Amino acid sequence: MVRAPAMQDNDLDTSGSVLGRGTRVRGRVVGEGDLRVEGHVEGGVSLTGELVIEEGAEITGDVEAGVVTIAGTLTGDVSARGPVAIRASAKVSGNLGGTEVSLDEGAEFAGRIEADFELPAELQGGRAGGR
Amino acid sequence: MAGTIIGSGITIEGEITSDEEVVVAGTVRGKLSVDGGVTVEGGAVVEADVAAASLSVGGHVTGNVSASDRVDLLTGGRLVGDVKAARLTIADGASFKGNVDMDV
Repeated sequence: MVRAPAMQDNDLDTSGSVLGRGTRVRGRVVGEGDLRVEGHVEGGVSLTGELVIEEGAEITGDVEAGVVTIAGTLTGDVSARGPVAIRASAKVSGNLGGTEVSLDEGAEFAGRIEADFELPAELQGGRAGGR
Repeated sequence: MAGTIIGSGITIEGEITSDEEVVVAGTVRGKLSVDGGVTVEGGAVVEADVAAASLSVGGHVTGNVSASDRVDLLTGGRLVGDVKAARLTIADGASFKGNVDMDV
């Protein structure tokens, strides 16, 4: 791997944060950039970038990010500015909000899904109140 | 490779416990208890009591520090708080205010 010679502040890629398998956070995680969680977080997470909850990871608390991918366990609501992906290994209990939500086969999910999307023209109007 | 990296844009308020290496490039407020080594990068801010096997400070740390092995205060690093460690180095250009207990 080639590294830039001037690496005083950049000797590792600190734009991508990782909370490793052996790490537990009790409190809030906020900030800019991406975060990969492999360990445990008890408290909220609020990010501008992408949040990945890896298989084996556990978050208890509400989660807010640009993009959210969940393969681990989440107890709390998700609010994404972009897409939310729930992988097969995930266990999610809470409400999901995002531009689009995908749920893989095998995932456990209890909650509401609120995806903001535009209905295609043929479904708009005329069928209102079709409950 | 480090097990946990708290990137430069990230702030954690609360308690962090870990049994692996932790690199802080962002901000940590609260408490940091690590069985492995802790590296506080230049530009990072830690306002927390830190307990670790070893601690390397290139950024700013405010809080009491205890290390079972060693504490290294690097050039440009700043540590305000009491240090309890078997070994301590303070590099030229580092700032330090606090008491040192080397357990003699």
